[in-house]
Amino acid sequence: MSTRALLVTGGGGVGKTTLAAALGVAAARRGVRTLVVTVDPAKRLADALGAASLGTEPQPLEDEPNLWAAMLDASASWEAIARRHADPAAADRLIANPFFHAATTQFPASQSYAAAEEAVTFIDARAWELVVVDTPPAAGGIEFFTAPKAITDLVGGRLLRWMTGGNLPGRRFLFDRTARPVLRIAGTVLGTQLLDQIAQFFMDLRTTYDGVRRRAKEIEAHLRRAHTVVVTTADPTPLREAVRFFRELPDVARRPEAVVFNRTLPESWIDADPGGLPEPLASNLRRWAAEAHRQQELRAEFASRYDTRLAVVPWQPEPPTDLDALERLVKASEDLEELLSAPWA
Amino acid sequence: MLERRLVIVTGKGGVGKSAVAAALAVAARRRGKKVLAVSMVGPGDGLAAHLGTGRLAPEATELRPGLWALHVDRARALAEYLQSQMRLPTIATFGPVARAFDAFAAAAPAIREIVAIGKVLWEVRRGTWDIVVVDGPPTGQVGSYLRAAKTIEELVPAGRIADQAGWMDETLRDPDHTSLGLVTIPEELPTVESEELLGWLAREQVVGHHQIVANRVLDPLEVPATLPAGPAGDAARLHLALWEGQRSWLERLPPDLELPYLFGLLTPTEVAARLADTWEAR
Repeated sequence: MSTRALLVTGGGGVGKTTLAAALGVAAARRGVRTLVVTVDPAKRLADALGAASLGTEPQPLEDEPNLWAAMLDASASWEAIARRHADPAAADRLIANPFFHAATTQFPASQSYAAAEEAVTFIDARAWELVVVDTPPAAGGIEFFTAPKAITDLVGGRLLRWMTGGNLPGRRFLFDRTARPVLRIAGTVLGTQLLDQIAQFFMDLRTTYDGVRRRAKEIEAHLRRAHTVVVTTADPTPLREAVRFFRELPDVARRPEAVVFNRTLPESWIDADPGGLPEPLASNLRRWAAEAHRQQELRAEFASRYDTRLAVVPWQPEPPTDLDALERLVKASEDLEELLSAPWA
Repeated sequence: MLERRLVIVTGKGGVGKSAVAAALAVAARRRGKKVLAVSMVGPGDGLAAHLGTGRLAPEATELRPGLWALHVDRARALAEYLQSQMRLPTIATFGPVARAFDAFAAAAPAIREIVAIGKVLWEVRRGTWDIVVVDGPPTGQVGSYLRAAKTIEELVPAGRIADQAGWMDETLRDPDHTSLGLVTIPEELPTVESEELLGWLAREQVVGHHQIVANRVLDPLEVPATLPAGPAGDAARLHLALWEGQRSWLERLPPDLELPYLFGLLTPTEVAARLADTWEAR
């Protein structure tokens, strides 16, 4: 089965997870065998997707012949990488390293990498025609695409190479602190014990390099082939993040199929005449019209700078709580309907 | 919050964290305080816009009388630290330290974070400012910054940095000194994330005082039960539905301060000024 991937990306708080689920439901109900993969869904959305059975393994949804759902679990990511790619003794050492404990939860990009790796596993399974992935919001969603390279660099031991002056030591002996004056300073500031732990950690991690690099390359190739939509609202913070997809991503991702402006107010409000209406209806309309105008200006500015399809989704005050409501979200937006009918889909 | 020497503002991405930090700085300045506004993570373009300036410099720069700002450049902050603590000459530290830091920061997270929060705490300790207002990391990451001093103490039993970690930890825990402003909006995910952070704060006890600031709160709207067809009725219906949704989240996580939803085209500086008005009106 040939599988298309749709990565739904964007910053936090823009309704990305909900829209990913909505697109998945709408596609499935058009007869496309679809898997929706979400990260950290809000409780009500998780309920809508059958929370009871929603786990890291894709589960079919009840009474929905074409729809599966799964949740990404990025929590045990580093341990999994260590176990998968290092020999058992090195993996044990890696996991027992005190530095590892402090570092694993905080490695930049580690959660995004784990999410990308899992998402690619689903795409590779060739069990679905469409895999819709709600990507983690870190760095406005950009990190999901750049994580494979970041992880390869990390495992490749840039720090270790730097510490040893490029010659990777083959033995337990770690590095010659006299070789680099900065290391003497680092030793004084951090303590030599920590420095040794860090070096040992990276030496063990380095043994996973070939495996991690190969896998990261596969993941990158998948991400470059995947279709993406960027979700935003007409607000400065998410818009700044959406812009990054056009400026920073050409090497690691395709050009987005569309930029979805969620929570859009009707343009018809902008010029609506509040004359003759009683208060407070008139002033309430005036302020919401001002808000609709603000949104329109920001959309227009975005459209004038970046040549891309815009999809507008009306502001729904109630978050969808079941699959029908999710499908309605797509049906309420001509642009999203069109997106699902586009040639790629 | 404005009575403290250090206020760190956090919040989930997109809730208006930078706007609130800027508003706090503006409100403190209006009270005649000498204020330093700091972007702790990243270049701080959001904070800069709300303060009405183009870019933030890595050293404290006066934007207008009484209001100064900077963004934390971590490599530079580390070099400064090494110069002052270890009496190293500038030349010997800056270039190599910047490169070394680059390599270390990618690998040793607690180090990256202690340098950033350390820079902020040094500014507080310096005594030049009546108040330091920090546009901090987002909710999901602020914990590792607030805990960085503790982490270092656990991770580095010896080493010069461990001595520093002690007073840093104390400053953060002093409720008369430091406050954490937790910005949220009355919606499900920001509320849940705020609750998680509050739970973590209760367990870790790393900051002495915190306040919950609810941003973009709608006011009640009293309209007739039957609404007219057309935009006015639709706008009223949307407002009421959103307001009702907000009420349930505000009840679940009652804020210490509510900031209003601002409608229409406002420049970032107007947003900061309007939010500062709310602070003053208290």
